[in-house]
Amino acid sequence: MSDQSSVGGANIEGDTPRIEPTVETDEATITDDAELERTLGLSGGLAIGIGTMIGAGIFVFPGLAAGQAGPAAAGSFAIGALVALLVALPASELATAMPKSGGGYYYISRGLGTLPGAVVGLSLWFGLVFATAFYLVGFGYYAVDTLAELGVTVGDGLVIPLALLFGAGVTVLNVTGTENAAKLQNGIVALLLSILVVFLGYGSLDAVGLVGTPSAPEQFAPFGTLPVLTTAALVFTSYLGFAQVATVAGEMRDPGRNLPLAMVGSVLIVGVLYVATIFVSTSAFGSERLATFGETAMVEVGRHYFGSIGAVAIVFGGLLATMSSANASVLSTSRAIYAVSKDALLPRRASHINLRYGTPHVALGMAGGPILALVATGRVELLAEVASFLHLITYGLLCVALLALRRNEPVWYDPDFRVPGYPVVPILGALASFALLGFMQPVSQLVGIAIMLATAGWYAYYGRGVSLKGAVE
Amino acid sequence: MTRVLVPLAILEGESVSTGLPTLLATMDVTVLGYHVLPEQTPPDQARLQYEDRATEALVDLEAAFEAAGGSADHRLVFTHDRDRTIDRVADDTAADAYAITGTTGPVDRLLVTLTGDIAVDRITSFVTELVGDREIGVTLLLATNDEPRGRTVLERAVASLAERDIDVEPELAVDEPPLEALLAAAAGHDAIVMGEQAPSLRSFLLGEDAERIAAESVGPVLVVREHRDETADGEEQRQS
Repeated sequence: MSDQSSVGGANIEGDTPRIEPTVETDEATITDDAELERTLGLSGGLAIGIGTMIGAGIFVFPGLAAGQAGPAAAGSFAIGALVALLVALPASELATAMPKSGGGYYYISRGLGTLPGAVVGLSLWFGLVFATAFYLVGFGYYAVDTLAELGVTVGDGLVIPLALLFGAGVTVLNVTGTENAAKLQNGIVALLLSILVVFLGYGSLDAVGLVGTPSAPEQFAPFGTLPVLTTAALVFTSYLGFAQVATVAGEMRDPGRNLPLAMVGSVLIVGVLYVATIFVSTSAFGSERLATFGETAMVEVGRHYFGSIGAVAIVFGGLLATMSSANASVLSTSRAIYAVSKDALLPRRASHINLRYGTPHVALGMAGGPILALVATGRVELLAEVASFLHLITYGLLCVALLALRRNEPVWYDPDFRVPGYPVVPILGALASFALLGFMQPVSQLVGIAIMLATAGWYAYYGRGVSLKGAVE
Repeated sequence: MTRVLVPLAILEGESVSTGLPTLLATMDVTVLGYHVLPEQTPPDQARLQYEDRATEALVDLEAAFEAAGGSADHRLVFTHDRDRTIDRVADDTAADAYAITGTTGPVDRLLVTLTGDIAVDRITSFVTELVGDREIGVTLLLATNDEPRGRTVLERAVASLAERDIDVEPELAVDEPPLEALLAAAAGHDAIVMGEQAPSLRSFLLGEDAERIAAESVGPVLVVREHRDETADGEEQRQS
């Protein structure tokens, strides 16, 4: 490649990106002196994707979304799924071409250059921080409801303290815990899926009038089409998980096969579940009453169909789901920080590993600290939208990076999976991602833009000398 | 030549005792230094921090094996899953056996167990290579419930070793629990050679036999791997 000679450079501290030649096999990454085992299989990848997403989409959003868009909130979730799919396909191609940890940041810094890369890498860090804070607040609501089901009524005043406590717990456990929780995560996701399939299966039968009492039909989109789109922008947070799969791309076995299956598969699975959930919950109560139940509306839906057992199952499911979302995102955040710091765009200290526990405690702290600060604000919708905003920027640029790489294919670019319907799919993916930004509340847009400007400023100060375009190991 | 894999948790200070390089002097040795990471830590991140230190330790170990007269190389792997790594590298290097290091001085006498559903020929030919023309005695142990058949198997194995001038003694344990028989016989021996067992419910619950034996007997345990049909293995991996 012509610009290969300029690859590298140094940041303000004189550190250079660590770029070394590697050989990728299906089972390991082989560097000069060492090998890195690929240990995650397809089920592990799906568990990360689904486990991250399901908490938000099913257990937090239904009440909020139905309040804004009526039964047409199902359409908002469908739009979200479509946008996510349009991005998941190009992301899969890039991931199989560059099966490295770091995800979207890696593809954009290599495909488009250091400035967009730095903005995306650092924005992704904050995007994940906002998303995790949002999951934790959701957890807080479920924790309060759990106590209520157990007969201890504490009121919503305890939501934030419980979320903070759990957030701190997750961070500390990730720093000190050396037991692998991956198997537990797989089990949680399998359990959640079984609860939901039973629940949604029965609920759907009821909703179409085959069992139970028929409910009065409601106008599908009582507030018109615009709220359907703004709601789609809000609930897009429930589709962020597929990109988390890409942050562990370097640890996935047979990446050419498993990465596309895990990313596209998890979007399809959760998309269907979300649409069914909204359909079933709006049929149970009508959107207006559903909205009054707020973040934990699903508990009332469970009670409606299955009595107190249903409520307990949903409360329990909601606790597990928001926990697994928060935990998976904390892990992704620390990987995102590592990827940027490896390329000398953050101080190298950020990727230091704790000698006692073998965990990246600095990166985990850089995730956990801001997360707790944001949880303290307790603003569910703002947290969700800013998270979506920062991710959508990444997704849009990711599609652009794919187009740029395909137009002038470098020699190293050899993906195992090529996106079907090129160039229509990535072009639509980019347009849809950027368009969704326009439907957010102005305050979310402002916060998002401010964060991006700050990251660009950091790049100009710290990492201007670094050059990453085409720097593939 | 026959290759033995020596897996070591290299950054946790695992090392080999003085007797092992001497015992394996007749073999090709691959020292596999591995480092198991919690899932929070990307293997690549650990590599940047620990690679140099681990490589230094591995080069020293390699030298120890070569000083004893064998030939050795090393691999360094950062992983979340130790067993998967050992299996992959063993397949990669076509290793015939792997070693659980244990502690021993000079090895004068080996305990070789033929108990269970294992390929006796592979074990006897491995032992023949291992002993070579050295003065190392061998006790062949077989625990069985079927005395006549056990006796035949044992006699054949004794004959094939005696042919190579190896000082060999048979020991037949009838109607004894295999593991107890093995540990009882282990006294007076410096190292154990055994076959690899297929994973069973018991091994799932209690850990692999080889590891339990190693823990009980203190000395090194050499586990002769089952013969793997390479094409079938490849297909199996693609499916999983």
